[in-house]
Amino acid sequence: MNVRRVNRIDELAQSLPPTRDLWPAISSAIAADIEANRVAALDSAPRRTRWLPAAGMAAAVALVTVGIFIGRIIAPAPQTVAGSAASQASSDMMPAALRDANYRKQREALLVEVQNQLNTMPTAEREKVAASLATLRRSISEIEAALGRDPANALLQELLVNSCQEEMRALTAVRDSGSQET
Amino acid sequence: MTIADKGRADTVVDFDVALIERARKGDSKAFERLYRDHVGRVHGLCLRMTRNPDLAADCVQDAFIKAWKALPRFEARSSFSTWLHRIAVNTVLEKRRGPSNAEMAVEDPTEYAEPVLSFDTPVEEEELEAAIQSLPQGARDALVLCGVYGYEHSEASEMLGIAVGTCKAQLHRARGLLRDRLERGVK
Repeated sequence: MNVRRVNRIDELAQSLPPTRDLWPAISSAIAADIEANRVAALDSAPRRTRWLPAAGMAAAVALVTVGIFIGRIIAPAPQTVAGSAASQASSDMMPAALRDANYRKQREALLVEVQNQLNTMPTAEREKVAASLATLRRSISEIEAALGRDPANALLQELLVNSCQEEMRALTAVRDSGSQET
Repeated sequence: MTIADKGRADTVVDFDVALIERARKGDSKAFERLYRDHVGRVHGLCLRMTRNPDLAADCVQDAFIKAWKALPRFEARSSFSTWLHRIAVNTVLEKRRGPSNAEMAVEDPTEYAEPVLSFDTPVEEEELEAAIQSLPQGARDALVLCGVYGYEHSEASEMLGIAVGTCKAQLHRARGLLRDRLERGVK
């Protein structure tokens, strides 16, 4: 039997390979780690895309604002009682109030009046205003959908309130443009 | 170390750097190569510190898994082998679940500075390993890291979480005990 002898302790073999292969267990743990990182990355990705409706909303609000501004240049409207009522409604609105019956009632009444007003508008102008309002509604729907996925998102809640207020202001402005012409 | 050894060591280091870079990017095959290259030394260290083959295997597995997760924090300037050993020692200490090294009172640590232990007559490797295994934990840790793996007291003490003076004292104690046990074994 070949017995190895050493003169110094640092002559001992530093490498003592394990009797069994430890790699399969390590490899499994690493695969699990890679999968966990992949899932975490996927989890964070949709969170980023949830901000897309917000960007769309901002663009829509800008569009509607420009549309209303153009409408006011065509038919400049003085401050009316209805306008101040809408403004009051807007300032009173909070996220919970968006589901409020009073708000819904005001909005539905406004929609009827706006539809009547749209019917009296020249075709080109009517299409422009209708398109702006549709864009605004689509954005509101997208924000609501995003809030459905992330209900606690304070920024989305604020955007929703602002968008609904903006819609009310737009509807009021369209309605008032008609009352001013008469 | 001969010039040839030095050249080989440099090549290994450079090869490690390339493998580490690939592993950092999630290449598990590159990490497997690193594992195959280093597992023997890591296992030797764990086995000598734990004296238990099953526990040593657990420590090796955990150490490599921790190394994989910590790779993004590894600084390429330092030695991968030393970094891996540091993780392995830490894993062994965690598995022991308790204070690994009782602090020893040291009057003058500088007198224990010499880590190399030589013998007047050649000693059988197996007999020497058995004598190392019989040492108390703290003395054994210091002897394994400084004596067998050639770490400086400052490096070994940092790995073990003890003062440099304590490490020197433990090594001094280990040398004395080892000589006694080898002599007893011979007689």
